[in-house]
Amino acid sequence: MTKAKRYNPLLILFDLWLLIKNSIFFVIFLFVIKAGSESTFITYGRIIFFLAFGLTIISIILKWLTHKYELDDRSFHLYKGIFSKSERTIPFSKIQNINRHTSLFHRIFKVTSINFETGMAGEDAAVKFEVISQKEADRMEAHMTSAVRDDLATILPSDEEDISYSAMEVKEGKSNRIIHFKPTKNDILKASFTSLSFLVLIPLLSSLYFKINEIFHVEDKAEGIFEKLIGSWWMVTIVFIVLIIASATFGIVRTFLKYGKYEISSDHDRIYIIKGVIDEAAFSIAKEKVQAIEIEQSFLKRVLGLAEVKLTSAGSLSSGEDTHEINSLYPFLPIKRAYELVSEILPYYEVTHKMDRLPQKSLLVRMFMPSWLWIIATIILFYFKPAVLKLEQAWWILSVGLFIIIVVLRLLDFFNTRYILNDHFIQFKKGSLTTSLFVSKRDKIIEVEVTRNIFQKLLGLASIGTINRAKPVHHAGVDDVPLELADSFYKWYMGRRNEIELG
Amino acid sequence: MYSQMNAPRQRLSRDAVKVWIISELVTNLIGFIILGALFYLDYRFSWKEWIGWILIAITAISLIGAVWSFINPFLLYKNWRFDVDEEFLQLKSGVLKEVHQLVPMTKIQSVATTQGPLLRKYSLCSVSIETMGSSHTIPALPKDAAIELRNQIAQYAKIKEVEQ
Repeated sequence: MTKAKRYNPLLILFDLWLLIKNSIFFVIFLFVIKAGSESTFITYGRIIFFLAFGLTIISIILKWLTHKYELDDRSFHLYKGIFSKSERTIPFSKIQNINRHTSLFHRIFKVTSINFETGMAGEDAAVKFEVISQKEADRMEAHMTSAVRDDLATILPSDEEDISYSAMEVKEGKSNRIIHFKPTKNDILKASFTSLSFLVLIPLLSSLYFKINEIFHVEDKAEGIFEKLIGSWWMVTIVFIVLIIASATFGIVRTFLKYGKYEISSDHDRIYIIKGVIDEAAFSIAKEKVQAIEIEQSFLKRVLGLAEVKLTSAGSLSSGEDTHEINSLYPFLPIKRAYELVSEILPYYEVTHKMDRLPQKSLLVRMFMPSWLWIIATIILFYFKPAVLKLEQAWWILSVGLFIIIVVLRLLDFFNTRYILNDHFIQFKKGSLTTSLFVSKRDKIIEVEVTRNIFQKLLGLASIGTINRAKPVHHAGVDDVPLELADSFYKWYMGRRNEIELG
Repeated sequence: MYSQMNAPRQRLSRDAVKVWIISELVTNLIGFIILGALFYLDYRFSWKEWIGWILIAITAISLIGAVWSFINPFLLYKNWRFDVDEEFLQLKSGVLKEVHQLVPMTKIQSVATTQGPLLRKYSLCSVSIETMGSSHTIPALPKDAAIELRNQIAQYAKIKEVEQ
């Protein structure tokens, strides 16, 4: 592990592919749309394009020649630079999570991309390998995780059983992982219904129809046929059924491609999430680096008893160009299974169902808080007095309607809100239509805040807030809790002095 | 609040009120000059009617704001408290909305003192504290006290907990 290595030569091909992908727009504009143009603007544009294209190719090759990497027992060393050389050292202990992404390009060449994410801000926050062989990626991940584990073992020598366990694990490698969840066919059917992905076909078809119509003027020609079709009821039924089947199939296929090959597994100290059929993404995080857990339920998921569990990490969660976050344990878990899963993969975390409700008086505060949205909307409506469906009074009907919606949402939020300080953990749940349950450990919270506005002061209430490490930092909190809770919340947070290790 | 622990006690410099009032005076003056210019332009070029109404509304709001900005510094001074010990930085501020903050020393990344021209006139300094997730400012402390506080926080913040 001591010799510095160049990156995989396929990286050149990958960068070229990206370059071509990104310059397609310019090519089409400069050489296809404006093909015959003689204007100086276009001519210079073409010259600049060729120069930029050539320079980028040279820089891609130079980049491959000069960039090198090396792993030792404790850190990554990255070397780069042609004239001014730079060396960057990133200790393994600063790595928050590992993201892998295998796109179709990677599939074809049997390679993958791997990012080791740190909690730092800025461009250089991650150790990135955009193209790397599967074997090398596995080797680096195993090397990094085992190095961190050995480090921990030397810090905590009292836990002897643990060391022998982890030592065994290093030898056995992957085989020690326990698979906690793989979606069954049933799960995917439920997921495709819940995500409403079958509805996606409708805008897709209609936009396709309009495009075709624009080019071929189908509407004028087909009018006769269309009227005939509408005329016979059985034809309409058939078309309707075909459409339903098509959109359902489409939804299921789409869901399968996205969530079909989901796998949540864990070993003694890490959690692994793999997803995607064509575009494969993998996420792994050390258990002690999980900053918080969130369990989210949309309205539809609550009706069907499903939930999504998200892990918060201080590192970046999206990999490469595409930005879907892969920190979610399966988004359509049956709620009971979701809670079980949390206690299986994160035994240090305790999620309790016993939580306190808000006192009645906080409903009072919430009802009397002015809604800026409603005030502004009403002023605008009052000024313009738009007539909807030829109804003169529409403006005040809309205003009242909005008012009722806001009140109902506030009521729902009030009834959904729960909170508890549970030993080392803080837990709260809120939301009106979509509810989210937030659980974090005291030593993971980096700052707390209590605020009180005039109404809250009058009624003996307060709002509490926490800040956790994440990208961007994660603010969470509950409004209008009793003052006594805010008081014990402060004291609870002070208690973190007993559980942090000083280095 | 604070039934089970020490409330922060330290206060800002008394001169803070003067500094805030002067700076409010300057900002208000500039604001009203701009408004006056707009009114003149409105009159001179006879702009649309609704622009006049908006200008009047802005003036009304600014007048209320100006009155408030001469009361606010006294209340702000009266309510600002902070304290540091080996483990936590405690802040309390706010008049209408009271804000209490508790920041562990181990999470503080940097601390700095800054001094603008107004603060320099009264030989005051503000102390700004950056953490992993936010930044806080203690405005207007006497210069010596500010530097001492900065050094003390830097000393306490040197100890780092094992980061996970």
